[in-house]
Amino acid sequence: MSDTVTINIDGQNYEVAAGANLVDAAKWHAGNDIPVFCYHPKMDPVGMCRMCLVELGTPGRDRATGELLRNDDGSLQIRYFPKLQTACTTTVSDGMHIKTNTQQVIDARNDVLEFLLSSHPLDCPICDKGGECPLQNLTMRHGPQASRMYFEDKQLLEKHYPLGDLIFLDRERCIQCARCVRFQDEVVGDDVLAFHERGRRLQIITHSDPGFDTYFSGNTTDICPVGALTTADFRFGARPWELNEVPSISPWDAAGENISLSMRLDRDFGGKAMIKRVMPRQNEWVNEIWITDKARFGHHFTRAEDRLQQPQMRTGGTLRNSNWEAAIAAMAATLQGADGDVAAIAGSGMSNEDLWALRQLLEGVGAGRLGAWPPTHDAAPHLEQVGVGAGTNLSELGRGDAILVIACDLEEEVPIWRLRLKQAQDRGAYLVVANARDTRLEDFAVQGARNDKVVEGDAIRYAPGEAVSVMRDLQKAHPQIAERLSRAENLVIVAGAEGLSLAGSEALAAAAANFLIESGHTGSANNGLLSPLPGANGLGLHYLGFTPQTTLNIMQEPPRVLIVAQAELLDDDPAAQQWLSQVETIIYAGLFDDGISQRADFILPLQSFAERDGSFVNGERRVQRFYTAQGPMGQALPAWKLFGGISQNAGIANLKPSAAAVMLELSGSVAAFQGASYRALSRTERQFPDVGGRDLYYGGTAYTNHGGIGLQIPTAADRGADVQRRDMADVAELRAGEGELLIMPITRLYNRQRSFRPSLLVEQRILNPYALIHPDDAAAAGTIDGDLIEIVAGESKVRVRASVSSEIAAGGVALPRHLTDAAVPLSASVGTVSRVTDAVAVR
Amino acid sequence: MHILLRGRDIPNIKQLDVYEAHGGFDGLRKSLAMTPDQVIDVVKASGLRGRGGAGFPTGVKWSFIPQHEPIKYVTVNADESETGTFKDREIMEENPYQLIEGSLICAYAIQAKAVYIYLRGEFWDIGEQLDACIAALREENLVGENILGSGYDCEVYTHLGAGAYICGEESALLNSLEGYLGQPRVRPPFPAQKGGGLYKEATVVNNVETLANVPFIMTEGAPAFKAIGTEQSAGNKIYCVSGHVKRPGNYELPMGTTFRELLYEQAGGPLHDDRPFKAMLPSGGSGPIVPLTDEVLDTRMSYEDCAGIGTIIGSASIIIMDETVDMTWVASKVTKFFKHESCGKCTPCREGTYWLDKVIDRILDGRGTADDVKRIADVAENMAGTTLCALGDFAANPIIHTIRHFPDDFAQHVQA
Amino acid sequence: MNVIKGFQTTAKHLMEDAVTIQYPEQVQKFHQRYKGRHHLRRYENGLEKCIGCSLCAAACPADAIWVEAAENTDEERYSPGERFAKTYEINMLRCIFCGYCEDACPTEAIQLGHEHQMSYTDRRDAIYTKDMLIDAPAEGAASTPQQVEPGAYNRSIPDMEDPS
Repeated sequence: MSDTVTINIDGQNYEVAAGANLVDAAKWHAGNDIPVFCYHPKMDPVGMCRMCLVELGTPGRDRATGELLRNDDGSLQIRYFPKLQTACTTTVSDGMHIKTNTQQVIDARNDVLEFLLSSHPLDCPICDKGGECPLQNLTMRHGPQASRMYFEDKQLLEKHYPLGDLIFLDRERCIQCARCVRFQDEVVGDDVLAFHERGRRLQIITHSDPGFDTYFSGNTTDICPVGALTTADFRFGARPWELNEVPSISPWDAAGENISLSMRLDRDFGGKAMIKRVMPRQNEWVNEIWITDKARFGHHFTRAEDRLQQPQMRTGGTLRNSNWEAAIAAMAATLQGADGDVAAIAGSGMSNEDLWALRQLLEGVGAGRLGAWPPTHDAAPHLEQVGVGAGTNLSELGRGDAILVIACDLEEEVPIWRLRLKQAQDRGAYLVVANARDTRLEDFAVQGARNDKVVEGDAIRYAPGEAVSVMRDLQKAHPQIAERLSRAENLVIVAGAEGLSLAGSEALAAAAANFLIESGHTGSANNGLLSPLPGANGLGLHYLGFTPQTTLNIMQEPPRVLIVAQAELLDDDPAAQQWLSQVETIIYAGLFDDGISQRADFILPLQSFAERDGSFVNGERRVQRFYTAQGPMGQALPAWKLFGGISQNAGIANLKPSAAAVMLELSGSVAAFQGASYRALSRTERQFPDVGGRDLYYGGTAYTNHGGIGLQIPTAADRGADVQRRDMADVAELRAGEGELLIMPITRLYNRQRSFRPSLLVEQRILNPYALIHPDDAAAAGTIDGDLIEIVAGESKVRVRASVSSEIAAGGVALPRHLTDAAVPLSASVGTVSRVTDAVAVR
Repeated sequence: MHILLRGRDIPNIKQLDVYEAHGGFDGLRKSLAMTPDQVIDVVKASGLRGRGGAGFPTGVKWSFIPQHEPIKYVTVNADESETGTFKDREIMEENPYQLIEGSLICAYAIQAKAVYIYLRGEFWDIGEQLDACIAALREENLVGENILGSGYDCEVYTHLGAGAYICGEESALLNSLEGYLGQPRVRPPFPAQKGGGLYKEATVVNNVETLANVPFIMTEGAPAFKAIGTEQSAGNKIYCVSGHVKRPGNYELPMGTTFRELLYEQAGGPLHDDRPFKAMLPSGGSGPIVPLTDEVLDTRMSYEDCAGIGTIIGSASIIIMDETVDMTWVASKVTKFFKHESCGKCTPCREGTYWLDKVIDRILDGRGTADDVKRIADVAENMAGTTLCALGDFAANPIIHTIRHFPDDFAQHVQA
Repeated sequence: MNVIKGFQTTAKHLMEDAVTIQYPEQVQKFHQRYKGRHHLRRYENGLEKCIGCSLCAAACPADAIWVEAAENTDEERYSPGERFAKTYEINMLRCIFCGYCEDACPTEAIQLGHEHQMSYTDRRDAIYTKDMLIDAPAEGAASTPQQVEPGAYNRSIPDMEDPS
């Protein structure tokens, strides 16, 4: 059987993929926009809105013989259904004929719109969707010119119903298309929305606590075909036609979600262009058309009052406001006078251009120690070797494929990956989740069935600290699981660092790489290794020579002059205060002051991702660029300009005129970035489904990708290199001694990091400090659920509430990072837990 | 002779021993001795058609079930919720074993693992009685594993709905049975196909009255059944007569009996002798209304003949109205019913029923105009044929047909 | 001859009233629909008609209007609907007094009045802010923001009379 069929739309024949949905096929091949409200290309059709009615016919067959019937002239006899059919619930078949422009179809569309509008409040002038509203657009195109319904007979419903603190529901505007319900059900898997009642009283409700509790809730406002769901963040922020869309990249995690920043001038921001909202931008390889709530609502830090705005310099023992000229000259002198005893630690929010400028500066002054921050994950060298193959698209994983997720909590670390892997399992992929504690993805893995479909998966619960040996000995300890993984057509392993030291995370990645090499799952698309490196540019750090190993080295042997770039050492590392005290001169460049101003000699304001051009490398090694959107804060500079300026002042290199020029040099100098000029990065192509453009009703208000789909760096395996297994005979694992526990820092998506706190809307969802502890361990420590406990591990000493649960294996304590002001250990380490008896309650 | 309402002929047939003494479960025994295909062939040959309203040939429906599927179900539609219908209730109250026997024969014919009897929420007492019957049958090895030593296993369960008209629609019924909101599903896949039925398995959904006919067909043979009724509509049918007649109630008569015989001979004619019949809803609120002219009265009550007078026999819930009844009021009442019962899933039905109700209220209040009458007729036309399930068509029928047949009733309410 | 013809015309008009007026001592009578400086109107209870929908700004061919909206609360209510104009500015140097804003307004909040004597010594002064544009509340009515009974205004836009 061929994989294409021929269908006839309004008299024209088209070759379309067999099994395609008729609405999709008509749009993709014929450019025929069949209007829809309830249908969405990313979800199963339900045929509710009746907007997509078309005349549908199929070739007639003789009942007795099964022969195709022919007209006298030899053409096929087409038998049309007596009633109009919904295109969205129709799968194309060979010889199918549809008519979309007959009077019957035109009338039906007009009628359905008249019905919808009869209950619609028509408050478009104040509706946030007004101007980019599918209902408005379709009414203009297909709708009646006037209403025959009596206005005073309209049903009046609640206009302002909070479905939680993030999303408001307007029950009058809702057209009951169930897109939001189905998105939560089918795509996300958090089925917190539902229909209640029936008939005209049918309405959307949520029962979760807190309301509408999911990391993806904002997407429902994009796919809502009317203004029924709006975000509290953008509420009345601007009219859509006033907004200027600027392509950008989410600064939060390794997914590198493609976003679009909706910009408008604002009085409250000094008349400068300001982010009014963050919208998804289509990139089917990366985030499809979904973004997390953190990307959507977490943009407020870019305009936070407490951002650094003025260069400061320590003169005579006190830190004073300065200007760039003086500060740059002073730094150039300091660096040149350090006899090469200079090191740099760069955070994972730095762009590739920034890192290149920083590296050039350090090399120019004869120094070579380039540290990556935070030094928690060391999988990058293996990602370079056997990372997921070029062209990987997690949406292509399905039946026959397998996924292993080990030592990470993707829901919290890279939510988009968790969403896409869950969907891969929905499509039939075998999903195994291994961790020392229960995670959200594990719940999905072992769910068995979901949305009336059987889903296959397994969970492995190992003792804290044992991730590496579990991965290494998978064949022995879990032969059935290992067998299914190795036999899978495609295999993706996601290896994290939870419960591991830095060396442990490297060993885990090595063990995972071994497994992939052994089972032959390297060097091709949809096969290979992933790792949830923290920050947006964890891999950029690696490719530009900044390594976490070097950071550890810097911490042990502090240099005379240390450049700290966009790394909040004091917030992250409980020992930072101590080792920083041995550094003579600290040059700190960043967005926020984490207290380092007490020690630093230079405090330099940097621009956030929104204010400048740049590029990140995401976890799938895709180099993606972001564009200047927002007006600058104070005197902040992009980091490449700052470090380039110092280099120029020190006579090392000339300052490049633009980020594009920096990238041009970088792409010519670093092999991994070969060909990654801005022009190449901004290349786009047509993606399925065809969202954006004027037909907002089809895919929702997600934006067409005009900013570029990025360029994927090939792995060694992709290039055909002979990647070798590494001998893993002895692996040093962390072991807690008698009376000790393994303290495992874990990541929560919503935490009290300085860059997240200013987004007050989401701040409410940050949990109070807690630590997850097994009942046996809790009993040994003499503590019960809800007790205040003190956890001591190395330099770290934090007080949190005990959450006693057998969701975690005995012997370990899961301690979320950045929920308290006191820093938790950087990586997993051995420590003790004791009940606090003398304390007053701490929040 | 009653085939279905045997409770009227035989006292206490609702007791198992009495039922068995009168040939009970002979049909099942006979069936178990045949192959499933043979059973289907007998039912096909009998000409039995679905009594739920659509009149689809029952044997053909059973033959659609894919044989190779390991799991199949029978669902009995006992959500008797059509306005003016009360036939299934009498069968289940007075002759429950015949229904269970019929559904077991059906289950055997398609090799189903289980039978679900979906009862409307108000039938909780019938549900209890059926549960007691099922328990009694289990004792007798007529339900459960290895029925009568044949090696065939089948469970029978009852399930109470929550009281929704739409759950009488087969796919909404299946949704409700699975625990979802009672809303119709997109078809295809149809319930008889894998993926479309109960728990996504192939499922036969049959009305109570349909299945209650099956034991007779198996014991007496297909020709005996086929001999009753008309060429295309075989067997007896229970006609539920209500409204302005002297003796309302259930009447089991052969299909093809004329309306005149039913209404005058059986139901005793008009309630008040001086008030002649005006109109009839032959299929409850959902079917087109017809004026009770002589032509209509002489029409035979069968699937094919009723089409000739522009209506349907449906589930034969015959509501009779005499000349005192205002058809605008009837249209309003029926519309209110459908507005209340619309599930809200698809646009034309959800919005249309709400809209129709509002405008008819205007007309009844005297605030309406002649344009309003035209408007609701047009809105009803727009609803018909565009909805996900048949409820949209049902809701449009009373408006379209009352206006067509009784324009004067509307004209008296509207300002010139 | 032509000269005489010319003087005849002059002589004819000598007897007529003068068309010109001595502005600014004399002020011309305005037609009802003369389009002068804009006013933002209020309801009788003092609430503002403007709902901050920005349609005037969208309709403005000279891009002279700037609107920023915010949400009303019952404690601080500016307009009867859900939203109001937090910022409302018209740059009178750009404005061409075409009246499109008035046409576009869904609540009849902005209307062009009869004032036309606007002069500025600084370009900045040409930007009329909301305070300058909005009418004073009617006799006895409170100004905005007002504190109102919770739930008194539960529609997204105030009910308007049918404009047709």
